[in-house]
Amino acid sequence: MGKRVLVIDDSSTMRKIVSRSLRQAGLEFDEILEAGDGQEALSLLAKEKVDLILSDINMPNMDGIEFLRQKKEIAAIKDIPVVMITTEGGADIIGEAKSLGAAGNVKKPFTPDMINEVIGALI
Amino acid sequence: MLTTSGRRLFVAVLPLCHRSTTLDLQQHITDATKEIFETMIMLDITPGAPLPQPVRQFKASVSGVIGLAGSCKGMLSIHLPEPVAKAITSSFLGMEVDEINDDVTDAIGELANMLAGNIKMVLDSAGKAVTLSIPSCIHGEEYSMDSVGDADWTAVPFRLDGGEFVVELQIKNNG
Repeated sequence: MGKRVLVIDDSSTMRKIVSRSLRQAGLEFDEILEAGDGQEALSLLAKEKVDLILSDINMPNMDGIEFLRQKKEIAAIKDIPVVMITTEGGADIIGEAKSLGAAGNVKKPFTPDMINEVIGALI
Repeated sequence: MLTTSGRRLFVAVLPLCHRSTTLDLQQHITDATKEIFETMIMLDITPGAPLPQPVRQFKASVSGVIGLAGSCKGMLSIHLPEPVAKAITSSFLGMEVDEINDDVTDAIGELANMLAGNIKMVLDSAGKAVTLSIPSCIHGEEYSMDSVGDADWTAVPFRLDGGEFVVELQIKNNG
């Protein structure tokens, strides 16, 4: 199976733009899966394997921080790298995400080069 | 995202955290808006002089709104005539947009979200921890957005090919 990435964001606009930016950055994935919040992502990860997760923080139902907290308790998915893509670039929230296992952070607004800089090293 | 179409809407907000920060916030709004348009929307925009009074009545427009809570509370909003909202969404998503649909309301909500994220960082760095609401988007043939009498605010207009839009911030110290 080729490489697969999961994009978690409540904004369909941002899911499309993240997917487009991955292609523009030359980061080829065979499949890009999408989820609208952390809960939907956990449900999807129970049945689908992915190599990388890109997640927003501020989302309804289950935000990105709670998603990280629950993901690290699930053996089957706890080692999948997660990069936060968020408007919330403050040190506190980014520090909390890293303490919960986030592998990196890209702040919105972003360019494909900024995506490549963080994600290129993880795949 | 919450979407309200074509009905009168009242939003109550209160004064700015510190009046002395008003000019700084205007500059931050200008810088943040230009950065978003340069990096992700790819449209040239030109900021104008801050508005002398807030615009409260809107016709055939789209407004993206984010609530702020915590040490400060208030609202960041972006107001766009429908043709401008469609043009921005089209450039943002790289696709033709012929009507005000879910793509437009989601894109304008996300635009408000990115702007609010920038303002949150400014407030956080000033020791005013705030949290952001989920974006909402309002559109319709005619609607209004009101604030309470003692509300402080700043509103910066931006020109682009085909029209103009306004970014507005209203906040108050929360005790």
